[in-house]
Amino acid sequence: MTPRDALDMFRRKGGARCIEIGRQIQTYLDGGLDAATAAKVSSHLDACRRCGLTADDYRRLKLALAETSAPMPAEPLQRLQALATDLASGDTSPP
Amino acid sequence: MDAAADESQTNHSNPTPPTIGTFDAFVDPHLRVLLRVAGSLCRNSHDAEDLVQDTLIRAFNGLSTFDGAHPRAWLLTIMRNANINRHRRQRPGLLHDAGDLAGEADRRNPPAPSAEDVATAHTPAPWVADVLGHLSPRHLQVVELVDIAGLTYHEAAAALGIPAGTVMSRLHRARHRMRVHLAHHPDFRSEHR
Repeated sequence: MTPRDALDMFRRKGGARCIEIGRQIQTYLDGGLDAATAAKVSSHLDACRRCGLTADDYRRLKLALAETSAPMPAEPLQRLQALATDLASGDTSPP
Repeated sequence: MDAAADESQTNHSNPTPPTIGTFDAFVDPHLRVLLRVAGSLCRNSHDAEDLVQDTLIRAFNGLSTFDGAHPRAWLLTIMRNANINRHRRQRPGLLHDAGDLAGEADRRNPPAPSAEDVATAHTPAPWVADVLGHLSPRHLQVVELVDIAGLTYHEAAAALGIPAGTVMSRLHRARHRMRVHLAHHPDFRSEHR
C-alpha cells in the first residue's frame, strides 16, 4: 500500500474528520465554540471512541488542575477588603 | 469556569461604572482572583499583596476613566502595568541599556511559579506536580492563570499583556504536552482506562 493509498483509506474511515475535530476539542471543552460547531463536535465525540477518549483526557486534566488551586488565606483578603473600604469611604488618601 | 467566555462571571451586559462610594463593593468579587494572579506574577505572597494594594489604589484613582465594562480584565490590565512599573522602580537607570531591554522583556513575562509551588499546597492527584514540572515557564504560566486560577482567555491576556489568541495557543500546546507526558503515567491512565 502506497502512502497515498493509506491516506485515502484513512480519509474514508473518517480520519480527516477526526483531525478536524481534534483541533477543536480543547476549545469545545473550554466553551469557546459556537452552538452549531459545538453540537457537531459533541456528536462526533459520542460516535468516535478515539476522539472521545482524547476529550476524556483533557476533561480529566482540566478538572485535576482546577482542583490544584490552593485555598486562599483569609488575612491578605481581609486587609485588601479593608483598603478598598477605606478608599471608598475616603479614609485613605491615595498617593 | 468557562475559560473561553468573553468575560468574567460579573455582570457586564449593561455595565454601570462604579462610583467612589461603591468602589469596595465593585472590587470585592475580584480580590481573590487578583491575589492569585499577583501570586503568579510575583512568586511570593508578600509582594503579591503589595501588588494588589497598588492595583486597588490605581484603579480607585482611575475610576473616572472606566466605563464599567469588563471589570476584571480592567483590573488585571492595571495590575500588569503596576507590576511593570514596580520592576522599573526596582531597577532604575537600566532600562535604556540595550542589554537590559531583553531583561525587561523577561520581567514582563516573569517565570511562573515552580510546579512545586503550584501543586504542593493542595494536590488532589499525584501526577499533577510531575506533569506541571515538564512545562516551560510560559506554558506553566497560562495553565496556572486559566486552568488553575480560572481566568478566561481574555483575562489572562490582560494579565500577561499578550493577545488572547496567544494565550489560547500556548494553553492548547501546554495541555497537549501534558497529555502526551501523561500517556504513560500509571496513575493518570489507571484511573480512567
